[in-house]
Amino acid sequence: MIEFITIPGVILILGAAVISFFSEKIRPALFLAFPVIAAVVILTRPENYTVTGSLLNYDLVLMQTDALSNLFGIVFALGALLAGIYAYHMKELGQQISALTYAGGALGVVYAGDLLTLIIYWEIMALASTWLIWARRTPETDASGMRYLIYHILGGGLLFAGILWHSVVEESIAVESIPMEYTPANILMLLGVAVNTAIIPLHTWLSDAYPKATQTGTIFMSIFTTKTAVYVLIRMFAGWELLIFFGAAMAVYGIYYAVICKDMREILSYHIISQVGYMVCAVGIGTDLALNGAAAHAYNNILYKSLMFMAVTAVMYSAGSSKMFHLGGLYKKLPWVLGLYVVGGLSISGIPLFAGFISKGMVIDAAGYGGYETIMLVLLVASVGTWLSVGLKLPYFTWFDKEEYTGELKPIPVNMYIAMGILAFACIFYGVFPNALYTFLPFETGYEPYTVYHIVEILQIALLTFVAFWFLRKKLAPELTTVLDLDWFYRKAAPAVRRVFVFRVDRFYDDVEEAILAMARFLSEKFKNPMQWLNPFTDKKNEASRYSPSMEVVMSFIILSFLVFAIVYFI
Amino acid sequence: MKTIHWIILGIIFVITLVLEFTVLAGYDSHWWNAIPAFYAIFGFVICYALVYSAKFIAKKIVNRDINYYD
Repeated sequence: MIEFITIPGVILILGAAVISFFSEKIRPALFLAFPVIAAVVILTRPENYTVTGSLLNYDLVLMQTDALSNLFGIVFALGALLAGIYAYHMKELGQQISALTYAGGALGVVYAGDLLTLIIYWEIMALASTWLIWARRTPETDASGMRYLIYHILGGGLLFAGILWHSVVEESIAVESIPMEYTPANILMLLGVAVNTAIIPLHTWLSDAYPKATQTGTIFMSIFTTKTAVYVLIRMFAGWELLIFFGAAMAVYGIYYAVICKDMREILSYHIISQVGYMVCAVGIGTDLALNGAAAHAYNNILYKSLMFMAVTAVMYSAGSSKMFHLGGLYKKLPWVLGLYVVGGLSISGIPLFAGFISKGMVIDAAGYGGYETIMLVLLVASVGTWLSVGLKLPYFTWFDKEEYTGELKPIPVNMYIAMGILAFACIFYGVFPNALYTFLPFETGYEPYTVYHIVEILQIALLTFVAFWFLRKKLAPELTTVLDLDWFYRKAAPAVRRVFVFRVDRFYDDVEEAILAMARFLSEKFKNPMQWLNPFTDKKNEASRYSPSMEVVMSFIILSFLVFAIVYFI
Repeated sequence: MKTIHWIILGIIFVITLVLEFTVLAGYDSHWWNAIPAFYAIFGFVICYALVYSAKFIAKKIVNRDINYYD
């Protein structure tokens, strides 16, 4: 029992229950205690520590540690802690509970040793995170949250169906690497995980919901869902070649939308898809270097992506809008936020001395040296787009472009700066000391990021992309637009869908009901007095109440019986 | 961007070119290593291509009025 409540995921979920008993003043601080406890537990557990239990006939492995799960476990605990610090000023109980439960679900998935435990935490994540969208309480976010929830229930259902099928066929529910065979069970599981990984074309829940979630909610969301799914991909689907092409497609797809979009949170949300694309691609390549790259990139991405989301959320908190159309010229008024954002921007673009450089290069090299040179070039295109969209365009039109921002600005709480400062420090720290991260990676590859070739490569790309951006910047000027994506098909198609699946079905049931009633009416009419049609050769009124059996009826039954007997006997 | 900024960027660019033609002169692991200053050209061309194609996609396909879904 004591072992059970020291499982990191359980700690956070219990924590979510505990904080609900405390007052608004203590709650934000208490929130922070649980990720810290989880981190301590993770750091003090020996290698290959397991906790087992059982459910019905299944032997469950509730917790299992190794290098890969610890890497994700630590960064999830760290992410929950820093997002908690960032949200320290936010007093709403519902959001605090759902955020902590959500983080607990993510940690639970990372340490789950069997697929049944995994699916339970998986569903907890989907349910808990939905509240972070609904908590805005606007009609728009109500609808968006519902779409998000339906999408995740679909994904969870596919995964669960795959797990059940897999458990029957393979007689195993262990979370382990699956050989690349396109059996129904494997396809179902891969589809279920693909939904959470936002693999195109199953990505629209992300770009739809993340920009609409609550301000602090988006920070939590950007950390957990996709990265948990990447963890499961690394665990189970390493070396599935199909993922290479989908990953590369995601990397470019996300970039295009990041270049097109004009809302800071939309840009960063689409950019998550692009970044996760790198990881998915690396999982598909499946070499030691590639898997290390996927894990390291997920780790770093949590650091700098949440830093960037925090910075734009700080601007949004202060200026009251996340649309760049309303912003611009903020560099004098929010210089620190700009500085912190730029650290994230340089990191994500893989500039030397920042965190992204030490992991992105790993993925790109894994493609280049794994026999996928075209894929390597595609990933480099995505690198150019990353630098262009979130490294240059977003900060330029938010902090510069205009002489000075003239609107009202709310002061930004200190706790936001603390969280961003820690993350910015971490981004630079890992960039300068890559071995601090490399020693915790699951494989030994001897990869060396700081070679002359890597530095020349990235600096030439970054410098000339900047020059091109400078010439073209007016073309990217912000405007107020809605950008369509594949979710158009289920958002705009809603009336048609309703016609087919609601009205048609309704009408069908109506018709069937009508037919049944008509039949009942007909039968009750006819059987009220069967003598009317059993004995039509009389002009007497055949009223059932007055009827007495007469000879003719008896005779006709005798003849009928004789006829039936004769037919059966002679044939 | 002041002139000094451009000069700094120019100096960094020249350093990368010098490194490419000295330290990396014999480097040959991908077919494109034979093209001088490949990554610089790549960054510039791809950036132009991305901006113009994204602009085209936005205009022709995906951009709608801000209240489109309301």
